[in-house]
Amino acid sequence: MTRLLDSELLKLRTTRTFYALVAGAVALIVIISALGTALGSFKATGDPGRSVLSVAGLAPLFALVIGVIGMTTEFRHGTITPSLLVEPVRTRLLGAKLAAQLLARLLLGLVGFGVCAGLVAGILSSRGIHTGMSTGDWIAAVIGGAVATMLYAAVGLGVGALLRNQAGAIVVVLAWVFVIENLLGIIPGGFGDGIKRYGLAGVGRSLAASAGHGTRIDQLPAGLILLGYALVLVIAGTIVMCQRDVSS
Amino acid sequence: MLWVLVAIVVVVGIVVAVFGWDRYRGTRAAAGDGTGAEPTAEVFVDPDTGGRLRVWYDRGTGRRDYRPEQPGDEGRATDLVAVESGTDQADRGREADVSYGSPRPAGTARSTVVPKVSTALASGAETGMSATIEVTGLTKRFGETVAVHDLSFSVTAGRIVGFLGPNGAGKSTTLRVLLGLVRPTAGSATIDGRRYAELADPARTVGALLDGDDVHAGRSGRNHLRVLARAAGVAPGRADELLELVELTGAADRRAGGYSMGMRQRLGLAAALLGDPRVLVLDEPANGLDPQGIRWLRDFLRSLAGEGRAILVSSHVLAEISQTADDVIVINHGRSVLQAPLAELMVQRNGGMRVTGPDSGRLAELLSADGAQVEAAGEGAIVVADRTGEQIGRVIAAHGIVVSELAPRAASLEDVFFELTGAEGGPS
Repeated sequence: MTRLLDSELLKLRTTRTFYALVAGAVALIVIISALGTALGSFKATGDPGRSVLSVAGLAPLFALVIGVIGMTTEFRHGTITPSLLVEPVRTRLLGAKLAAQLLARLLLGLVGFGVCAGLVAGILSSRGIHTGMSTGDWIAAVIGGAVATMLYAAVGLGVGALLRNQAGAIVVVLAWVFVIENLLGIIPGGFGDGIKRYGLAGVGRSLAASAGHGTRIDQLPAGLILLGYALVLVIAGTIVMCQRDVSS
Repeated sequence: MLWVLVAIVVVVGIVVAVFGWDRYRGTRAAAGDGTGAEPTAEVFVDPDTGGRLRVWYDRGTGRRDYRPEQPGDEGRATDLVAVESGTDQADRGREADVSYGSPRPAGTARSTVVPKVSTALASGAETGMSATIEVTGLTKRFGETVAVHDLSFSVTAGRIVGFLGPNGAGKSTTLRVLLGLVRPTAGSATIDGRRYAELADPARTVGALLDGDDVHAGRSGRNHLRVLARAAGVAPGRADELLELVELTGAADRRAGGYSMGMRQRLGLAAALLGDPRVLVLDEPANGLDPQGIRWLRDFLRSLAGEGRAILVSSHVLAEISQTADDVIVINHGRSVLQAPLAELMVQRNGGMRVTGPDSGRLAELLSADGAQVEAAGEGAIVVADRTGEQIGRVIAAHGIVVSELAPRAASLEDVFFELTGAEGGPS
C-alpha cells in the first residue's frame, strides 16, 4: 500500500499540471486577499476578517478541479492501463489515489488558508481595523478551510472516476458549484435556502467559516455533510470503476 | 476541535470501507464463484494410435489428473511427446494433437499450439508443467457486438506465439481480458492458473504492452517508468537500466509528449519489463516502428524468449510475425481460425517452385506429362506445385533446357492469412 501511495505522490510531482494549479491557487489567494485587505474599506459593523478570508475559498475550488484532473488524467492519457497492470486491484489503486490527493490537498488547504489568514490579520491590524475574530476563530477557520480543501479534492476524484472525460468532468463540477447551486438557491422559500446552506458550495464555505451570516452553519455539521458528499461520490466512483471495462 | 477528530475518524473510515470492499471481493473470488476455480478437462490424443487421454485440471489446487478416456487407452496413449515445446526442435514434428472444448472450424489445420504431455504425465505423475497462459472458451460481448467468441488457446514458456487477425478481430479485447482490464462475458483467461487480478505479484509475473500511447504527455520517460516502478515495488535503478536497454537514455528526461511513436512504443516495452516477468503480452508492439525498429524488436523478442519467457504478441501485419513467432493463432471476427506452429504452416502452404526461362513452355509440357501440377505465371514463368527444386533440376538437366531462374515461390503466408480471415480486397 505504501508503494502505491508513493507512486501516486510521485505522479503528482512529475507533471507540470499540478504544480501550475497549486501555484495558481496560492498566487491568486495571496494577490486578491492582499489587495482586498490593503485597499478595501470596511464598515465598522461588518466582519472584515471573515469576508476577506473567504478569498481563500479558492483553495477548495482548485482542489475540486485538481481532484477531477488527478483521476481523469489517467483516462485521458491512457496511463490507467499501465497503472492497472501494475496494480490490478482497482479499489487499491483508487484508495492510493484518494490518499495521495487527501494528503496533498490538506497541505494546499493549510498553506492557502494559513497564508491568507496571516495576510489578512497582519494588514488589517496594521491599518488599525478590528478583524472581529479571536485567535481561536482564525485557527478554526484555517483548519476548517484545509479540511474543506481536502474533501473537495475527494469530491472531484469521485466525479472524475464516474465520468472519466476530463473536460466534461471539470465543466460538471464547476457548473454545479457556480451555476446550478446558485440557480437553485434563487428559488424562494425553504428549498433555495437549503441549497445555499447545505449545497456543496455552502457547506464548503461554512466549514471554512467564511460563509455569510445568513447561510452559515456550524463547522462540525458542515464538515460532516461535505464528508457525506465526498463519501457518496468516491464510493459511487469506486463501484463504477470496478465494473468498468478499461479498453483504452 | 471535536469535529476535526470526527472528520479524521471518518476519513479513516472511507479508507477502511474502500479496502474492506476490496477484501470482500477478494474472498468471494477465492471461494470460487468465478469460472476460474472450476476443474476443467482437456483431451489429449496420441496421433499414431488414436489413444485418448482426458486431463482434469483443478485450478483451485493446481492438480492435474490424467485418466484414459476408454479402458485400454492407457497403453495406447503413452507415446505423447515428452518435451516441453520449443526446447527440443527435433521433437516438434511429434507434437501430440490436442482437442479443444470448442469444435475447430472444418478445413483448418489441427492445432498444436498447446502444451505437450510427457510420457511421465500420461502415467499420472504430477509435475509443475503447465501452460503459462491459458484462455478457455472466452467470449466477450459489448452490447450487441460479439468481440470474442468461444476462443481457446494456450502459450507455454520459451515460445513466441503470434496472435494474428485483421483490425477489429478481437485481439486487443482478448489480451485485455487476459490482463484483467476487461471482464469476460463467459469463459476464462488465466496466467499460471490464476486470473490476472489474483496474481500475487503481477508486475513480476506478467509484463504487458497494450498501447504504446499510454504515457502522460507531460511526464518524462524516466519519471513514467519510476512511477510504475514504485507501484510495482521495483528499485528505481531498474528504470534507468531498462531505458538503456531500449535505447532511450538520451531522451529519458524529455517530456514523453515529444517522443516519436517508436520511442513511446519502446518506453512501453521498458515498462512491460520492469518486473523482469516470465510472461510477456504485447499488443501490436511493432506499431509505429520503422524497419530498423521492427528488426530491433524481432531480435529483442528472440533474446527474451531465449531466456525462457513465454511471449504472446499480437499483430495485424503478418510479416512482423513471420520471422519471429514459433506458433501462430489466427482469429477473425472474434473466432479462432487457425492455431499451428509457424513452420508447419509454412510447409503446408508451400507456394511451389517458380521457374523462368526461354524454354519454360517446354519444361511445363515435360512436367505435366510426368503428372506434375504446372501453372503458367506469365512472362515465361511457370509455377510447379508438387515438385522439389531438385526434381525439376533433373528434368532441366536431362533435356538441356535453359532456365534463368529456379526458386521456391515466396512463402504465401500473406495469402494464407487473407484466405483465412477473408480480408482480401479493401480494408476491413
